[in-house]
Amino acid sequence: MTTSTMSLLESIPEKLGTTEPWVETGGAHWLATGALSVRELAKAMNELHARFVTITAYQLPKDEGFRLEYHWDLDGQLLGFPFQIAGNSIENGKIESIYDLCEAADWIEREIHEGFAIDFLGREYEPLLLRRGDTPGVNLRDAVAAGKENK
Amino acid sequence: MSYKIPMGPYHPGLEEPYKLDMICEGETVQDAKLHIGFNFRGIEHLAETRNYIQVIALMERVCGICSNIHTLTLCQAMEKLTGLTPPPRALYIRVIMAELERLHSHVLWAGIASKLMGFKTMFMTCFEIREKVMDVLAAISGNRVNYAMNCIGGVNRDITDPQAILKMVEALELEMSRTIIPIFTTSKTARSRCAGIGVLTLEKAVSCGVVGPTARASGLPQDLRRDAPYAAYAEMEFDAPVQPDGDVRARLLVRALEIMESCKILRQALSKLPPGEFHTADEKFVFTTGTATSRVEAPRGEVMYSVSWKEGSRNPARVHVRTPTFANMPAIRWMVIGARLADTPLIQASIDPCYSCTDR
Repeated sequence: MTTSTMSLLESIPEKLGTTEPWVETGGAHWLATGALSVRELAKAMNELHARFVTITAYQLPKDEGFRLEYHWDLDGQLLGFPFQIAGNSIENGKIESIYDLCEAADWIEREIHEGFAIDFLGREYEPLLLRRGDTPGVNLRDAVAAGKENK
Repeated sequence: MSYKIPMGPYHPGLEEPYKLDMICEGETVQDAKLHIGFNFRGIEHLAETRNYIQVIALMERVCGICSNIHTLTLCQAMEKLTGLTPPPRALYIRVIMAELERLHSHVLWAGIASKLMGFKTMFMTCFEIREKVMDVLAAISGNRVNYAMNCIGGVNRDITDPQAILKMVEALELEMSRTIIPIFTTSKTARSRCAGIGVLTLEKAVSCGVVGPTARASGLPQDLRRDAPYAAYAEMEFDAPVQPDGDVRARLLVRALEIMESCKILRQALSKLPPGEFHTADEKFVFTTGTATSRVEAPRGEVMYSVSWKEGSRNPARVHVRTPTFANMPAIRWMVIGARLADTPLIQASIDPCYSCTDR
């Protein structure tokens, strides 16, 4: 990692108003997000000219909800920011959309919406045709796939 | 008066199914919408039902062209979760396979682009050369499409006679430098069909987050082999060609120049192939609980895998795949706006899209 990338990396927690340290594990630099808004994060990444890579969604066991991991690339360094969504019910599965701030997030937000029935607030969806019929969550969300819950 | 022209999901101008709905005024495209998902196979869900051996074979089938890249990225992520380190010889063999796959992919794309340009002799020439690249891949792995080379902690097969492979690569390089490269860089046909069409500006390339040759042809100098080296790329000397124009010709030139850079990397890797084991000696390993990510520069750009595991489990808890075409395809909308309708098959092909990868 170059010195300039390192200093950029060190400036991010302060920019986001957190005292959490970076943790390098599993091929990425992770920063705990706490109460941080995902939109504030997207704005900070835009200011640093970081490249949006993807969002990975995980359904957590029992009723623990979901974890969304947002990834950006900063000069070849992969940055990871985990966000937790509490509760497994369809009504609780919501998080702010960053599509208007980050055009590259469009398709992955749509895919997660279709795959896990998570609603990205503040945007509309065009179908990617990945889902069966018009039931979001049928592909990867356990309860919907098993026919126990439907939107 | 504007009218809508649908291209796809099944269309002679497309190699795989997807749909481009274009709004046209006369012959000019005013706007376009993309629809994907016609190849959806639920591979990410299937991965959760496969053990650590089976999942490698499954992910090899995400793509029929860059199958090796998918297993490489997955194995790198699983090595982070198990703490296994492949020996140096395995890392070099991974580079050799990755660059041969890049050659095969770029030459295949050159053939398809030639066909869409109306340059059918060039299409046949490219496919003849591609067969020779496939011969080299088959000589190493025994297979033409799914090579089954990568495993956790190394590779499954050794390269026992690197000098013989080196001779095959040198013959290929000579043939490519005599045919594909001069035709694509100097031919009037290639220039007249490609220059100034399907432009993706640097600003739009940044905002769409495009990757690989599509990004480099719009002036973005990003290449994971150099920016975040994996396998043995840190020990290789090569350039990542960048073109500023952002049009179809720039994407053509970037890939043509990358073919020569791949040959350069192959010569280095085959000449310096270190002695020793090609697989880690640790026969026993355990997965730790957690998530690991891995990124690789595939022929079309960055592939990223996020793999999550629970200790004691034989199956992954989650495998997420972000393919390069998933990042590049939304940019097609901006490339076709203002273009002539007749140019749109070539424009969409210029990102070298892989819909099977994208849909998973």
